[in-house]
Amino acid sequence: MATITAVAQTREIQYTEFDLPNGLHVILHEDHSTPIVAVGVMYHVGSKDEARDRRGFAHFFEHLLFEGSDNIGRGEYSKYVEKAGGVLNANTTGDRTYYYEVLPSNQLDLGLWLESERMMHAKVETKGIETQREVVKEERRQRYENQPYGSILPEVLKRAYTMHPYQWPTIGYMEDLNAANEKDYKNFYKTFYVPNNAVLVLAGDFAPKQAKADLTKYFGPIKKGAAVPRNKVVEPPMKGEVRDVVYDKIQLPAVVEAYRIPALGTPDFYAVDMLNRLLSNGNSSRLVKNVKDAEQKAVYVGSFSLPFEDPGLAIAFAVANMGVSPDSLEASMDKQFARVRDEAVPEAELTKLKVQIETEHAMENSKVAGIANNLANAYTFLGGTAKVNTEVEHYMAVTPADIQRVARKYFVPGNRVVLHYLPENQKK
Amino acid sequence: MKSTPLHTLALAATLLIPALMTAQVDRTKAPKPGPAPEVHLGEHKSFLLPNGMRAIIVENHKLPIVSAQVRFDIPPVMEGNIAGYQELVGELLTSGTARHTKEQFDEQVDGLGAQLSASKDGVYAMSLKKNFPQVMDLVYEVVASATFPPAEFEKARTRMLSEVQSRASDPDQIADVVGQSLTFTKGHPYGEVVTEATLKNVTRKEVEQYYRHFFQPKQGYLVLVGDITPQEGEAMANHYFGLWQGADAPAVANAQGQLEVKDLGPIEPGMATPPLPGNVRVAFVDRPGSAQSVIKVLFPVQLKPNDPMALQAQVLNTILGGGVFNARLMQNLREDKGYTYGAYSSLNADRWCGSFSAGCSVRNAVTDSAAAELLKEIRGMRTSPVSAEELALAKSYMAGSFARSLEDPRTVARFALNTFLNNLPEDYYETYLKRLDAVSAADVQQAAMRFLHPDSCTVLVVGDKAGAEKGLEALSGNHRVLAYDANGDIVRPDPSEGATPAPAGTTVQTVLDAYIKAIGGKAAVDKVMDLKKEYTTSVQGMAATLTEYNKAPDKYAMEMKVGNMLVQQITYNGNRAKLKGMMGEKDLEDMELDEVKRNAFAFPELHYPEMGQTAQLVGMVDLNGAKAFRVNVKSVQGGQYDDYYDVKTGLKLRRKESQSQDGGGYVQVITEYSDYQPEGGVLFPRTLHQSGGMDMTLKATAISVNKGISPAVFTVE
Repeated sequence: MATITAVAQTREIQYTEFDLPNGLHVILHEDHSTPIVAVGVMYHVGSKDEARDRRGFAHFFEHLLFEGSDNIGRGEYSKYVEKAGGVLNANTTGDRTYYYEVLPSNQLDLGLWLESERMMHAKVETKGIETQREVVKEERRQRYENQPYGSILPEVLKRAYTMHPYQWPTIGYMEDLNAANEKDYKNFYKTFYVPNNAVLVLAGDFAPKQAKADLTKYFGPIKKGAAVPRNKVVEPPMKGEVRDVVYDKIQLPAVVEAYRIPALGTPDFYAVDMLNRLLSNGNSSRLVKNVKDAEQKAVYVGSFSLPFEDPGLAIAFAVANMGVSPDSLEASMDKQFARVRDEAVPEAELTKLKVQIETEHAMENSKVAGIANNLANAYTFLGGTAKVNTEVEHYMAVTPADIQRVARKYFVPGNRVVLHYLPENQKK
Repeated sequence: MKSTPLHTLALAATLLIPALMTAQVDRTKAPKPGPAPEVHLGEHKSFLLPNGMRAIIVENHKLPIVSAQVRFDIPPVMEGNIAGYQELVGELLTSGTARHTKEQFDEQVDGLGAQLSASKDGVYAMSLKKNFPQVMDLVYEVVASATFPPAEFEKARTRMLSEVQSRASDPDQIADVVGQSLTFTKGHPYGEVVTEATLKNVTRKEVEQYYRHFFQPKQGYLVLVGDITPQEGEAMANHYFGLWQGADAPAVANAQGQLEVKDLGPIEPGMATPPLPGNVRVAFVDRPGSAQSVIKVLFPVQLKPNDPMALQAQVLNTILGGGVFNARLMQNLREDKGYTYGAYSSLNADRWCGSFSAGCSVRNAVTDSAAAELLKEIRGMRTSPVSAEELALAKSYMAGSFARSLEDPRTVARFALNTFLNNLPEDYYETYLKRLDAVSAADVQQAAMRFLHPDSCTVLVVGDKAGAEKGLEALSGNHRVLAYDANGDIVRPDPSEGATPAPAGTTVQTVLDAYIKAIGGKAAVDKVMDLKKEYTTSVQGMAATLTEYNKAPDKYAMEMKVGNMLVQQITYNGNRAKLKGMMGEKDLEDMELDEVKRNAFAFPELHYPEMGQTAQLVGMVDLNGAKAFRVNVKSVQGGQYDDYYDVKTGLKLRRKESQSQDGGGYVQVITEYSDYQPEGGVLFPRTLHQSGGMDMTLKATAISVNKGISPAVFTVE
């Protein structure tokens, strides 16, 4: 059975975890094969925690938290890390903000100091705020506005959600960033950047006992914050298919189909994710094999699920081959969705998906930086750190009946947004 | 051991206190690092297989994963009018083998949970150890028995045609393609541009023959990495590839002495380093409505991976813009000015031809300012030594990156492969950290002087011309912004621009006849057998002479001197043409040869058909207050120019043409003819004013008709 072989070839990630009195959760993963260490802090705050007139604030704030602290001057975060021979970065999603450094193992304390300063008393100055506002606007232009098809996510989100804050993209909107003021920074920091809303992960070459003592020195004195408010908005079900045309600076039309799906970590999510793999993981997957290869309707086709904490989306996206109309491309894609609804997935095909997942799972833990991120993610969103090793079992348990059931439940026209992307010059 | 109650108490107190003490950590200073850890390069095993293929094996059991790479050492080859076929090699390698159709092959790969991809120089695959033997079956199949099925070829080519179309709407892709062609020129394999026209010329034969010729064991490497012992790896290497012989598709010399492969044609490596542009050339690709300008500063660099200064060059680039956040470009353009999300540079060492690129994406309004800052930072690397702090940061960062890269066992294999491919010293990577540590600020400046050319480069902008072009001309060496299209070709003006219809009865032939009549009539012109024209002019403020020679029916020569120094010489013997200049010499080909051939006729108006040219009367235009007929002349090779003839006198007043430029692209050159005076019964213009590429006025000092010219003048070695 696939389940048994999967366990046989996948090596478990060993870890220990504990809480500091101030509520900071700590996970340690020891690995001495390379003399480096990853230090990561995940704050459970993302764009879904933003006020409706401050869209993009969580991500903007991520930029500002590299500006400095009571003890770290403007621009010095990166200098400390790079002088030590390390790298640093951060990223923000709808649900969380993650900061990390990868350092030579003798510089672990530096990473602890930098991250604890960020959590304890970050500081931003006017020059930093004004500069980062411009930087974020350029990031928005570069990633969304100046890329062909770059607006897909914002265009989908604003039609797929009516109430939930997922209706705006993490990058936000410029008018809201322009309106952000000092009160916003202070409130956001006080509310969300507290130890009881974060997890600290160390992965790599360190001695756990010493590391525990050191991290306690740096993070222990940080005061616990108030209970973190959670956005409880529940998005009502879609009232039928939403369909629209978007004009963009493109040559080839494209079709986007976004289906509303259940949240990350729910039983149906695994079957939905398997369905997406069935559709587009590898050249033998159904969309790639049929839409792109056999019918030659597309130059590119893919589908993926957004792993959101609240109910998210599965998005299928295809760029038309020369001379193929969006209608004909959509029909070709829909044939594959209908097939998943109408026929149970053959066992052999399901076995293929399980082998792919087993292999991916073995590969995704190849670097300490990735392991740190996976551990933080499992703790924050999957219902416990242990899921880093057991998550794969949920996939292995998915049956053909599960896939057909979620196909019929979620992958139906009444539960989706369909966008046709057309070249600007076809605008009437 | 002496112990008193007091001591014991004191000891007990310290044991109790730590929880309190920890709160007292000095937060105002960064913690001191512990002793630096040692960095260990992993081991690899390397040996030759019986067929000459080299195997490299790296054992690492951390993950239950094994990867295989087959890599062939293939020089870059010119694709010419079938550009695109090499890219198709990669896609088609996995589209059918002797044992599997594409569909079956894809099922196999996915069923094994494997990643498997191919490119024009080999195959890469990775899977769980338990599936790896079957994955190796597939890797071998691709390398030894790819079949390039015709139906798959057609599908792949159609998709690629779509992608080429799509490319024209993606600013980053435009910048890559045009940037490559302006850096390397279209005469270099790295600068060729795949277009719909070239793709339509490709057939599956060329794709297959490339594979058959270049996928040979003697230039092959097999790299196995991961959860595999050297014994297992060696057995596997021998089992699959030990006796593999490759296909029989040799290259043989053709009549012109070029190496040629049957059904593929000449395989010219064409690897000379392209010339630098000579000054700052500003190129603009208009993408109306762009939210940002993509800016790149580009030039080719003579830098091979085994250059003794290669490491110094990488330190230099790290400080300028190579990945660290504290690099000068990032700090200036992002953190100080807020112009961009990120600004970077790369100084790419390459066995065949290196290159430099620096760039960023910025809002339209600051395009010129951002481009100026990029140039300023590049210049700054040359003018003064870097600070001790910058140098230390760059070196630490590079040392750290080196250590981090070793987390992936494939790095050790990559090092071994690089050592072979780039002919590096055997201990190159073992001594890397020591050599890095020794790099000084003076070394970095020396590398900047050698490798950075901020005053001989291309500044490429892809963006909204209306909103972003302002101010860029000030950066240009000739105060011009050259317009390019998305394929890296100069945007040529519409030949009918500004013309009104010519009066009824006027044809191109009546205009040309009137011109010949005006300069003396066909009988007088036909008597001109040889012609020597000597002009004086000035080049960058220095007196210069230019001499042109024509000898009927088809010989031409030109030389330009500043003082006694030969600046440029073109010699055409009726067959081959050679260009000599201060940068060296080269044979002229294609469009450039076309231009020279045209010059061989002293009176080209009489020879259009035999030159393969067609002339067309565009209409009538106003030219400096006079009415002129505009005639457009096209050659089969794709070149074209416009001549303007005075409606009243019949004389030629102007030529407007797009000339190919060193360093790629074209520039529009206008030549005005005036002061016509007779010599040997024919009128010649004594004053020529040229504007465009280089502004200059030529004054004729002597024009000699039928005075005899030594044959040596036209000799091409």
